[in-house]
Amino acid sequence: MPRSLWNGTIAFGMVRVPVKLYSATESKAVRFRERHCTDGAAIEHRRVCVQEGREVPYGETVKGFEVSSGSFVTLSKEEIAAADGPGAHMIEIEHFAGREEIDPVYYDRAYRLGPGKLGDESYLLLHAALKRSDRVGIGRFVFHNKAHLVALRALEDVIALHTMRFADELVPAGDLDMPTPQRKPSKPEVTAARALLDQLSASFQPEEYEDTYRAALLELIERKARGETIAAPEPVQIAPEDDLLGALQASLKRQGRSPRTKTKKSKTNRSSSGKKVVAGSSR
Amino acid sequence: MPRPLWSGSLSFGLLNVPVTLHSATRDRDVHFQLLHAPDCSPIETRRVCATEEKPVPWPEIARGYELDDGSWVLLTDEDLQAAAPRQSRTIDIERFVEVAEIDPVYFDRSYLLVPADEGAARAYALLSETMLDSGKAALGRFVLRAKERLVGIRVRDGALTLTTMLFGDEVRSAAEISAEIEGAKPTREQVQSAVAVIEELSVEFDPTRYRDEHRAHLKRIIKRKQQGKKIAAPVAAAEEPVTSAPDLMGALEESLARIRGETKKPKKAAPRARSHARSR
Repeated sequence: MPRSLWNGTIAFGMVRVPVKLYSATESKAVRFRERHCTDGAAIEHRRVCVQEGREVPYGETVKGFEVSSGSFVTLSKEEIAAADGPGAHMIEIEHFAGREEIDPVYYDRAYRLGPGKLGDESYLLLHAALKRSDRVGIGRFVFHNKAHLVALRALEDVIALHTMRFADELVPAGDLDMPTPQRKPSKPEVTAARALLDQLSASFQPEEYEDTYRAALLELIERKARGETIAAPEPVQIAPEDDLLGALQASLKRQGRSPRTKTKKSKTNRSSSGKKVVAGSSR
Repeated sequence: MPRPLWSGSLSFGLLNVPVTLHSATRDRDVHFQLLHAPDCSPIETRRVCATEEKPVPWPEIARGYELDDGSWVLLTDEDLQAAAPRQSRTIDIERFVEVAEIDPVYFDRSYLLVPADEGAARAYALLSETMLDSGKAALGRFVLRAKERLVGIRVRDGALTLTTMLFGDEVRSAAEISAEIEGAKPTREQVQSAVAVIEELSVEFDPTRYRDEHRAHLKRIIKRKQQGKKIAAPVAAAEEPVTSAPDLMGALEESLARIRGETKKPKKAAPRARSHARSR
């Protein structure tokens, strides 16, 4: 059984559900450590007082909030925790909503909940009701001195918790400079693009996707360990062209020749995937 | 406009759309700086070479990978790119799927894609219009910061929005948790009442309804401290001692009575304010 990250209570109306929080994910990325490139030695991170130029033990440090340039208000751990309030170990479900109403941009990290002490029955009840109603509970949750909006839902036999971003943490698309096209896409272009999209449509099968880069990276590390020199990657050639329709029609033809298997093959043999067409004249 | 986090191209069949990648989220957290307690001077984290005992400038930091025998292989940025040159420059769209089919457990971070220039804008518009029309999301992959990412792209607010996703093997099984659950299954009557509570509290999801009160509270604490006021230590909530199995049916009935009672009053809507927000 993994270790729980947090213990608390869900308030569902007047029903209290004691729960434990577990992580639902684990990164499988290749992990690197910082090393000094000249001698390969380990790099240590040291806390140094800028004023005195010497290393400072953690016990001599305090957290400060910069109120104006160079001027700090210091806060103790307890003072920072005071913002958590007495409800820190309670997730109150404020509303229920449909899962499809929540845009993926809101989701942050995924966790799973298990029942806490004497919580099995109320946990099973909340799970059954979430499943039956097909709804997602929305509440707030304080974790590591930070509040998160959360979504609670039934996932298989457990209750899943997703931390979500608050609305003001999203960047409105209007904040970015979006170049606008001089000419709108033509009707034949739209039709061809839609045909290609339909050809590539499938159902989502998460197990079909493997991290192929992880394997390539580990292989490269092995080669380097044997003393092989790694050739610099060839620059990817992207030829500028403006014939969108031509590119789409060629794609449709290519897809049509060998529909499903083609997508898989092209992953391993990308360089030979034919001429690429780029829109505009950027590079 | 801030510098893009990545630039490359989005490839849809043989069509390449040059794009730049920008974060779709911004950090609104209250950040603290570590200070040296006696004189409150700032503390810096310095990278020091363990054998030479001297600070190391950033360009001299390499990525090291430890082999099973304890020796280290150092990798450069070029090495990382060589592992998959194409994937570090293009996002290849492999499939289109219904967004609802993707379980949220796979979603990680979100970004906005912007056409790299005016020339790219037409192909960008073509792709986003087609996707908007179909209601589908594109699935693809690319390499960002030395890790391959599975990505889902869809149109939101007129922009192609990219969400990185976890690979299937990065999601843990829930079996260990569910295997430990014991206890009686809820009765039909209990489930019906619980669903009734859910229905009473159901609304359309409106993210602007929820504000980060914790952040606001922390800012007020900082302000009060700045004015020289004392910050009361947090009162530990009196834990209700759990001694016996709860009366679920009673709690459900009381919930329904309360919610329905509340909704009858003219001033409804506001779900009970969180206790600490009220306490100040």
